[in-house]
Amino acid sequence: MAVSHDLRTFKNAAWLGWQMEANWTDPFVFATYSIVKPVAGSLILVFMYLVITGGETQTPFFSYMFIGNAFYMFVAEVLFGVTWVIHDDREHYMTLKQVYIAPIKFYIYVFGRAAIKIAITTVGVLVTLAFGVIWLGVEIDLGAVDWMVFIPALLVGLLTMLIMGLALGGVTFLTAKHGMGINEGIAGVFYVLSGVIFPITVLPEWAQSISYLLPVTYWMEALRRGLSPDLMTSLSGATGLSDFSNLEILLTLALSAVAFLFISSAIFRYADKTARRKGKIDWTTSY
Amino acid sequence: MQSAVEVKGLTRVFEPKKKKEGKSVTALNKVDLRIESGELFGLLGPNGAGKTTLLKILSTLLLPTAGKAFVAGFDVEKDFTEVRKRINMVSGGEISGYGLLTVKENLWMFTQFYGMKSSVAKQRIDELLTQFGLADKKDEKVRTLSTGQRQKMNVIRGFVTDPEIIFLDEPTLGLDVNASRVIRDFIVDWVQAKENRTVLLTTHYMMEADQLCDRIAIIDDGRILACDTPENLKKLVKMNRTLKLDVTSLKDTSKFGSIAGVEQFTFQDDAEKNQTYLKFILTHDSAVTDIISEVQRKGARILSLQKTEPTLEDVFIKMVGKGFE
Amino acid sequence: MSDTWLITNLRAIRGRAYPRVIGSKREPSWLFFDITLPLLTVSAYAYIYKYMDAPPEFVGFVILGGAMTAFWLNILWAMASQLYWEKEIGNLQLYLIAPISRMSILAGMAVGGLFMTAIRAAATMIIGILLFGIALSFAQPGMIILVFMVTMVSLYGMGMMFASLYLLLGREAYHLSNLLTEPVYLASGLYFPVRALGFWAAAGASIIPMTLGLDALRQLFYPSSGSEYGFLPVNTELAILAVLCVVFLWLSKYSLAYMEKLGKTTGRLTLRWQ
Ligand SMILES: Nc1ncnc2c1ncn2[C@@H]1O[C@H](COP(=O)(O)OP(=O)(O)OP(=O)(O)O)[C@@H](O)[C@H]1O
Ligand SMILES: [Mg+2]
Repeated sequence: MAVSHDLRTFKNAAWLGWQMEANWTDPFVFATYSIVKPVAGSLILVFMYLVITGGETQTPFFSYMFIGNAFYMFVAEVLFGVTWVIHDDREHYMTLKQVYIAPIKFYIYVFGRAAIKIAITTVGVLVTLAFGVIWLGVEIDLGAVDWMVFIPALLVGLLTMLIMGLALGGVTFLTAKHGMGINEGIAGVFYVLSGVIFPITVLPEWAQSISYLLPVTYWMEALRRGLSPDLMTSLSGATGLSDFSNLEILLTLALSAVAFLFISSAIFRYADKTARRKGKIDWTTSY
Repeated sequence: MQSAVEVKGLTRVFEPKKKKEGKSVTALNKVDLRIESGELFGLLGPNGAGKTTLLKILSTLLLPTAGKAFVAGFDVEKDFTEVRKRINMVSGGEISGYGLLTVKENLWMFTQFYGMKSSVAKQRIDELLTQFGLADKKDEKVRTLSTGQRQKMNVIRGFVTDPEIIFLDEPTLGLDVNASRVIRDFIVDWVQAKENRTVLLTTHYMMEADQLCDRIAIIDDGRILACDTPENLKKLVKMNRTLKLDVTSLKDTSKFGSIAGVEQFTFQDDAEKNQTYLKFILTHDSAVTDIISEVQRKGARILSLQKTEPTLEDVFIKMVGKGFE
Repeated sequence: MSDTWLITNLRAIRGRAYPRVIGSKREPSWLFFDITLPLLTVSAYAYIYKYMDAPPEFVGFVILGGAMTAFWLNILWAMASQLYWEKEIGNLQLYLIAPISRMSILAGMAVGGLFMTAIRAAATMIIGILLFGIALSFAQPGMIILVFMVTMVSLYGMGMMFASLYLLLGREAYHLSNLLTEPVYLASGLYFPVRALGFWAAAGASIIPMTLGLDALRQLFYPSSGSEYGFLPVNTELAILAVLCVVFLWLSKYSLAYMEKLGKTTGRLTLRWQ
């Protein structure tokens, strides 16, 4: 009974998410839009690389960087997506109040809308990777992929991101217009410290010790190991996580997901209560 | 003297966004209207009648499809800059400004778009805030105001620039009795305080129109159906004034029918209660005194008296063919 | 008469700039993010260059580019889409009935936005410089200021133009702004010298005033890097930027007048979204 009700909420929210994400234009424009952004983001890195190295992209470091950057889209988009739902409703359509007083579980609604975001991002990631493999010689061999590592890593990692996104979404209740900045900030921290586009070993010591506390560090490593095992063997020692076995990495990731589940729901409940106490739920802050 | 507003054959048609979908709407249909300087003029009409459309055209936000409109003698289409210098507009329920500014800052900001000197503006804002009983809120953020407080602020925003002509689109929409009264009283005082100040307001509240306005235009479906003083409008309805009297038992009622101003007279005796009921239909109010003295002459006492008059609502129902609110 | 017209419009500009300036003071929570966010991206890119043993000026290039993103984001989110939101709130019609040039409203938005963003960008730059121990050359302070100012006027001119054009869009506005980030960072060479794109691509990207402005600033801050990494000579870039200034200001005035006319005719300019 309750489950089917939740399921319906989820489905409705996903439908709404799809309407908002994609239904503003025809499918062709939408597809172009969804692809141009991630590819351009990757090309920035490609040009940075080319300016310095002068043309050679078939190196392990280039593949390392390219793959990490492609998967980072999930980090940015999921964190952003979950929080955006809350922010967007509040700032622009003022429907949050309605959603809020409606008898549905708010977070199911949010996850439903985020699910669409994940689906769309997946397309972007795939296109980016295909672009890298075909034109830039990024080292991924579908025959060599270690699916037993890759699939669990992908799923657990996405779940962790969703849970973190919810916590950050709660925080936007409390912050002003650029509350979105918080999750961009967190995403940015991951970009710098989690070995997304360069191995953490180039960071100063103190920064590296933070890296080991961030789930994304393990996520990125696990995804690369799953997707391109040979690449990671050739870079062995350089990524700073060689001491961890595949299983250890996955377990660390799973543990951090559980930990964040507790942290998130605590933050969200606190933020939610504070927002109601201060009467901020239906504030708009544009100027 | 220069008319404050002059409208000739004004027509406004809204085309549907996509040609195929929907049909075009004629919001105003050959409207003629003249509002003299110094008038407090009301536009009364059901939802979708075209009131807001007319105000938008007069305030240079919308172009007419056909016809002409002049504000303070200037063509709204061509001399819009001159028009804008002389007008302001307030709509009920608007949420103008920025929520994080204080009431005073928000009002100050809007005065700057009229080139007001800051010191002058600030002083005038303070005066108006006090008049509207909002002085204690002046340093509060706009987003913390209640609907009524917010609307008072909006009204101040319109008047603070001291326009010659102000357009008020349902200025008391959704306000309680007190807040509405503060705003109404202010509007009346404002028009009277100086010559050549003109107000054009739209409203759905009959009482408001009746009490406030010098003249009223009843508008429906883009057409002006009638335009006159509230008094004269009420005369338009042939619904007569009636006078009903309960008196102590009265034997001789022969004279009542022939009193000047009485159109029709009926009566009924209630022997059990020892009372008589008299009912008159009057063409003239002066008949009332004559009737009462006639009752007294016959040695009867008046137990109750009830006089009914047509209201603006009766006028409205008659004109528009449907009720209000 | 023309004197009071000028004063009226200057007051209008000040009036519209005010909420922006006061706004970030009232809600300082996000000032923090506006400074640290670009720093994070900048750090990531700086470390890549470090990892690849790039010449030291590249870290400086990235920091300058990162500071520039603050302006671009301000253009997209607080200029381009602003009139659209003003319309939704109902402010637009109040601006339109005021006896002032419509450009004053846009200019007020721009001035307020530019002022606050400049403070943030400066903070980002200073922290970046300290963090990565960068040495910039200040041999030509006059030119640096001039190039910066001309870049900003043309950039915000472009933003003012966007503001009017965005009125044509509805929900799409958000998506357009969202789209105009990474591709523009790429085209304008925010994180690498734009010359790397090749002459024609870089020339095309120069329509965005940031491109040449940033390239010129990099050459001024690193005088010796110009010959190897600069796109065009600084003076040429400055001249083109000056032309862009005029073009964008004129276009913004033209498109705003066009939008107003269109709105008055169709009746959609003052219509709230529902
Ligand atoms: N911008 C527009 N585009 C299309 N149709 C419009 C537009 N503005 C008004 N209309 C139509 O014109 C007619 C008159 O509208 P208007 O807003 O003037 O009515 P009103 O008298 O102010 O009504 P209310 O009492 O509900 O405020 C309506 O049928 C409305 O749907
Ligand atoms: Mg109306």
